[in-house]
Amino acid sequence: MTQIDPAVLESVLDLLNELSGDWEYEGVVGPDTYFLADLGLESLDIVVLGTMIQQQYGRLPFAEYLEELGQRPVEERDVSVAEVVAFVCEHRQPSFEEV
Amino acid sequence: MGPTLLIGVDGATFSVLDPYMERGVMPFLRGLVERGTRAPLRSVMPPLTPPAWTSLVTGKRPGEHGVFDFFQKEEPDSVYFHFASSQDVRSETIWSLASDQGRRVISVNFPLMFPPPAVDGCVVPGGMMPWRQLRLGCHPPGLFDRLKQLPAFKPREMLDMELEVKAIEGCPDDEYAQWVESHIRREQRWGDVARHLIHEEPAELIGVMFDGVDKLQHLCWRFIDPACAPAQPSAWEQEMAERCQRYFSTLDAMIADLVALAGPDATVILASDHGFGPTRDVFHVNSWLEREGYLAWSDRSNGDADRAGTELGFAEMTRHVHAVDWTRTLAYAATASSQGINIVSRTPGTDDPLPEEVRRKLAGELSDGLRALRGPDGERPLVDEVWTREEAFSGPHAELGPDVSLILADGGTMSILPSETLVVRREEPRGHHRWEGIFIATGPGIRAGTKVDELSIVDIAPLVLHQLGLAVPDDMTGRVPIEILEEDELDRRPPRRVAAAASSHPVDRPAELDLDPDEQAEVLERLRALGYVE
Repeated sequence: MTQIDPAVLESVLDLLNELSGDWEYEGVVGPDTYFLADLGLESLDIVVLGTMIQQQYGRLPFAEYLEELGQRPVEERDVSVAEVVAFVCEHRQPSFEEV
Repeated sequence: MGPTLLIGVDGATFSVLDPYMERGVMPFLRGLVERGTRAPLRSVMPPLTPPAWTSLVTGKRPGEHGVFDFFQKEEPDSVYFHFASSQDVRSETIWSLASDQGRRVISVNFPLMFPPPAVDGCVVPGGMMPWRQLRLGCHPPGLFDRLKQLPAFKPREMLDMELEVKAIEGCPDDEYAQWVESHIRREQRWGDVARHLIHEEPAELIGVMFDGVDKLQHLCWRFIDPACAPAQPSAWEQEMAERCQRYFSTLDAMIADLVALAGPDATVILASDHGFGPTRDVFHVNSWLEREGYLAWSDRSNGDADRAGTELGFAEMTRHVHAVDWTRTLAYAATASSQGINIVSRTPGTDDPLPEEVRRKLAGELSDGLRALRGPDGERPLVDEVWTREEAFSGPHAELGPDVSLILADGGTMSILPSETLVVRREEPRGHHRWEGIFIATGPGIRAGTKVDELSIVDIAPLVLHQLGLAVPDDMTGRVPIEILEEDELDRRPPRRVAAAASSHPVDRPAELDLDPDEQAEVLERLRALGYVE
């Protein structure tokens, strides 16, 4: 299992907590928050979030990741913040590891 | 010199606007035409929002700026596509060029503006920007929170993707009225944001986009085009025609407001990214490829076989990655919007590159096959125009575009979904993109009451720069359309060209896949064994 870099987790959570205020989401976004079930996001939201994350951590195989998610059974397509962060940590380029 | 106001009207066509102007539905636009110059505006291939608007703001064609569709190939040799963003625009734009030379800019609701460029001015991105992330797309930092104070600023309504999907895939009759009203409200909200920024953030270049025309014309063409109107409209059809008319009347008033705000010395350029016309045919391009032996579906795509024959697969864009059996596929269409077919870059079932001569041969075969297809009547050609990549695109990014591009004879649409029937005819006409968009301009030095021959969409960026008093970089394909300018203006301020600055958008290219002759022979042998080449 991929180690989660606490700095990446904090950065992604900051981003999501800043945005979720605009979505009328009243809870606090944490590692176990699910994008679809909890935050009510749509697939394009996740795509665009991926663009923002890649701006910070360099190019990631997000298209492949999303395609893989899309192939899961409907009930398993959701993904948690921790899972996305693990994906970023696993695939970010070495030059972005200190970001 | 006053500001330059660029009003984008996505999908606007004179075949719709002229009747509305003549009937008094759009009196301001009529006056604008009388005071200025008008021309048909030729779009680029494909005549589609992301590449065409990018051509308009860069003065370049898709092979030169790198944007071909809503979703982009990750790399020339990849089957994965990503959501197109501003990072895919591999060129300077009017926004960056103006800002870099001391002209403040406002850009409202233009596509491919996310992540926003760091211009001097304000950016509120549009297009397929999800409303939940609009905060991230607004520039400068803090702008989103300032806009939130406006009663009209409702991101959810301004960027509602459901409206987009229904425009393409349709909706039940009892939802039409609300759908049209949503567009009126949405345009008013964008108009209010633009008005606020023009008041509070004075700029020399002001760009405002209205994209509801495209959506309405897709779904409601039969209520908009007088030629499609039924002789005896039902009460519901009459109501829908009136609602659509109200949309265009509201749009006219919003354009009038913006022009008034820009002031009497402003240059006003009103342009669309492509035109529109009626269509009924839906061509299931991947099923044709399957029938011809170029594509095999994977087991996982079986569920799609029951879908309605006129669905295009809007929600399935880029799902080809899993819908296709890559061990038996040579060509595929990834999106309905691309108007194109991609040829795989690897020999099926291997990691070996597909030799270039094989790719070219396949592109030729596909082009010939498309030209031979007949429409639903069995007589007339189904496809009006076909180009190979080399014919359609040129420039450093051409390899990111489709290998074969097509325009259907009735201006029809492609579907990427499987279907037993290759061409399905809709019961009612829909609207779809055409080459000829609109151009209207007024302002200092621009001829009044003039019609000129067709301009190119890549001429708009040079014109904008000229009106801002700036020189045109010599890497722009477009030109300043001098035929719209008064002679005095040309004497006083002839268009200037300057050497383009070194690109700040480096091309990220994979290493060339060179094969020695033995390797090429081996790959060809494998293809022969698979039956792909003779």
